[in-house]
Amino acid sequence: MTETKTFKDRVVASLKNFGLPRLIITGFLVLLLVLAPFVGADLPTQISNIINRFSWNGILVLAMVPMVHSGCGLNFGLPLGIISGLLGATLSIEFGFTGRLSFLMAILIATPFALVLGSLYGWLLNKIKGGEMMIATYVGFSSVSLMCMMWLLLPYHSPNMVWGLAGKGLRTTISLEGYYNQALAGIGQINIGNISIPTGTLLFFALLAFGIWAFLHTKTGTAMTAVGSNPVFARAAGIDVDKIRMLSVVMSTWLAAIGILVYEQGFGFIQLYMAPFYMALPAVSAILIGGASVNKATIMNVIIGTILFQGIVTMIPTVMNNMIHMDMSEVIRIIASMGMILFALTRKTEASR
Amino acid sequence: MRSKRQILFRAGALLIVLLIAAVMFIIGRGHTVYFDNKTAEYNGQEYEAFHKVVVTVDGEQVSKLGKRDRGMADTMGQNFVMTLEITDEKGAQPHSHKVSMSLPYSMDGIIINIPELMAGLPADAYLSEFVVAPVEETESETAEGEDELGDEFGIGGDV
Amino acid sequence: MKAGSNKYTTSEKKPTAFGTILRQASVPLMFIIICAFCIPIAGLSPSYLANEIVTRMGRNSFLILSLLIPIMAGMGLNFGMTLGAMAGEIGLILVSDWQIVGIPGMVLAAIISVPISILLGIFCGKILNKAKGREMITSYIMSFFINGIYQLVVLYLMGSVIPIKHSSIKLPRGYGIRNTVSLLNMRQKLDNLIAINVSGIKIPVMTFIVIGILCLFIIWFRKTKLGQDMRAVGQDMEVARDAGIDVERTRIISIVMSTVLAGIGMIIYLQNMGNIATYSSHSQIGMFCIAALLVGGASVDRASIGNVFLGVILFHTMFIVAPRAGAYITGDSMIGEYFRVFVSYAVITLALVMYETNKRRAKSESSRELRAQQDADEANAAGKENV
Repeated sequence: MTETKTFKDRVVASLKNFGLPRLIITGFLVLLLVLAPFVGADLPTQISNIINRFSWNGILVLAMVPMVHSGCGLNFGLPLGIISGLLGATLSIEFGFTGRLSFLMAILIATPFALVLGSLYGWLLNKIKGGEMMIATYVGFSSVSLMCMMWLLLPYHSPNMVWGLAGKGLRTTISLEGYYNQALAGIGQINIGNISIPTGTLLFFALLAFGIWAFLHTKTGTAMTAVGSNPVFARAAGIDVDKIRMLSVVMSTWLAAIGILVYEQGFGFIQLYMAPFYMALPAVSAILIGGASVNKATIMNVIIGTILFQGIVTMIPTVMNNMIHMDMSEVIRIIASMGMILFALTRKTEASR
Repeated sequence: MRSKRQILFRAGALLIVLLIAAVMFIIGRGHTVYFDNKTAEYNGQEYEAFHKVVVTVDGEQVSKLGKRDRGMADTMGQNFVMTLEITDEKGAQPHSHKVSMSLPYSMDGIIINIPELMAGLPADAYLSEFVVAPVEETESETAEGEDELGDEFGIGGDV
Repeated sequence: MKAGSNKYTTSEKKPTAFGTILRQASVPLMFIIICAFCIPIAGLSPSYLANEIVTRMGRNSFLILSLLIPIMAGMGLNFGMTLGAMAGEIGLILVSDWQIVGIPGMVLAAIISVPISILLGIFCGKILNKAKGREMITSYIMSFFINGIYQLVVLYLMGSVIPIKHSSIKLPRGYGIRNTVSLLNMRQKLDNLIAINVSGIKIPVMTFIVIGILCLFIIWFRKTKLGQDMRAVGQDMEVARDAGIDVERTRIISIVMSTVLAGIGMIIYLQNMGNIATYSSHSQIGMFCIAALLVGGASVDRASIGNVFLGVILFHTMFIVAPRAGAYITGDSMIGEYFRVFVSYAVITLALVMYETNKRRAKSESSRELRAQQDADEANAAGKENV
């Protein structure tokens, strides 16, 4: 409300909204893909990698959508949902489920945690409208560090998960071999030469993405969009703003819980303790790269963003290493993804409070 | 008028800061000085090592050297003053010398051969550069000195 | 309407003032309780504890003081102080390659860090001006972004573009800086310049003098024209703009000052540590400085020098005793480690939540007042018409 905008500013802003950074990143990825065969990297393997990583991360990025829609901003509190997922995963193994059943049980057990934590989180965010993102970040951090203590203290006993010597306290990484490793990816996997496509995971993602898309077109879904775009108007139209926001936060949290389980089944390991700490940032920058802004996000943004982000993450190390024998991937990834978030934060037309 | 004065003032401040930086470069240059009490040869003449040398720098005794011993001290600045307490033979009365010299700026490590120094030879005789022998490198030297960091949270945050 | 309506005057009406004080004191009180609970359990000797606290006060106070100015300008907690810390580290790395040691080395490192800090600060300030109302999250992301640039410079450009001579700080591959850079010839040189020993407790007098000078500077600065402008901007940007203050410029200056001070603070911090963890020293520094400030009773829009010192003492006491106490209670030393991390984050979360709820309450109160006013006006007008 404080911004005074001239006409020229507006033209410049709309040009910038079109997304120069996005264009650069897309161009960069295309360049990397073109370069790859010339520097001796195997293109099919690379593409297969990108598809696989997309399938692991897609749902975590999808978890951003409901909260952005209801005007709660980017969900920097993603670790909270991840914690619910991790509780589901470890409890499912603790109760002795194996194979694909353990995946299903992990989802079932994670759900009540996600609902409870999500409701609390939503209640908190309703009390601090306008400052959601910063507080979300720290809610995520606090919950991760609280759970660090819990992983050590909770009475887990499964020998596959606890430290061998002490007989208590969960390990930092837990192998999913014999549990739900590749539980989804293994369903109808297609192998063509060097390309392997995890059909099951992609279908699962498509299912959830479609679910969200369909939801956003229901009455409640449109109400959510209304709350996000104009809370005053929404309230005037008789929508219970707080309730809708709460719902969106719970959905985001639940999706994050499912997202981490899907990630684990692809990755093959559960990572505990500080691992979820910074997991929100790649997801946030992925959806922003896909064209979302702080208060607008679509399913297409999720798909494009995840492909671009994961594409760059996969391609840079290979191409760089082959080209100049210098692995700058880490640095480039940080600069690109953080730059993207920074860009998005400076580019919101109106403050949400 | 005022802006002109302001510019002058700023330029002056900048100059002072640069001047301080230059002074720091000179007075802050650190060297490691090594003292050798070794028999050395210069222009065909041999200079015998002393029985015992006690080196004192800044009122602090840094080393006691027997024959063929090497001691070291870290110093700051180009002027180096040390007091040598020399015992020529076993049982002889030690005699004390105050030696001051200026150290070459470019050398990090400097070796001073005390017998040659005391014989009053020119600097290129008693002074030589200490070259660090290339150490076998191990790529993984991450944990080194980690426990010194009392304030670290021990979180591997790397995003 | 009283709770958060005025940021700098605490004394309005008696009951609210008491409520405000209670709310302000809640975090320090909680910490006093935690410390009082943990100290006996940890079983550390009083002299060890006192020594540690004094050391940490000398080490951290300067850094934490650097946070005060942006708070004054209403820009919240400056997570971007990490930028200054990185500038300080770059200065120290270069100085240790040039083998400039001791106090002159520190001074030179500070001189090098200042222009870098100013540039980073201007950049950060400009970005923050584009993200008004979201300064904190933006400065937080900014610290990550610049960390990427810092890694690019230190890991790839130093040794290849920026000349680095000594193999003791260079990676074996020929470019890039090692994980640890030793500052042995600078270690505690400032602390030991004038150090006195009071019954076994070493007091780094010179460091405290430097900190004291900064405190005096901040007190003086508050009274200057610029300081007054900053406070005005912090209270209400629109009003300040109407009063002819260049709001954008004032905000940038406050961030630049904070960044420069953080750079110098980092040099003081690292001379005490005696080495630089090149890629991690700065990464957590913003977080624990902010946590310490908040523990001292500061909030997002109000912080004083007293908060800084109280915060350092309480936060670091907790920091020292928590692992031992945790180990004693649960038999696992990691619990205490995680506990102190959790507490730091929880304190920041709590402070942020309190700030936002206060702000909202103030806002809804004022809008309600406005509405009541309008209703009254309308009623008046209607009444007049009727008559």
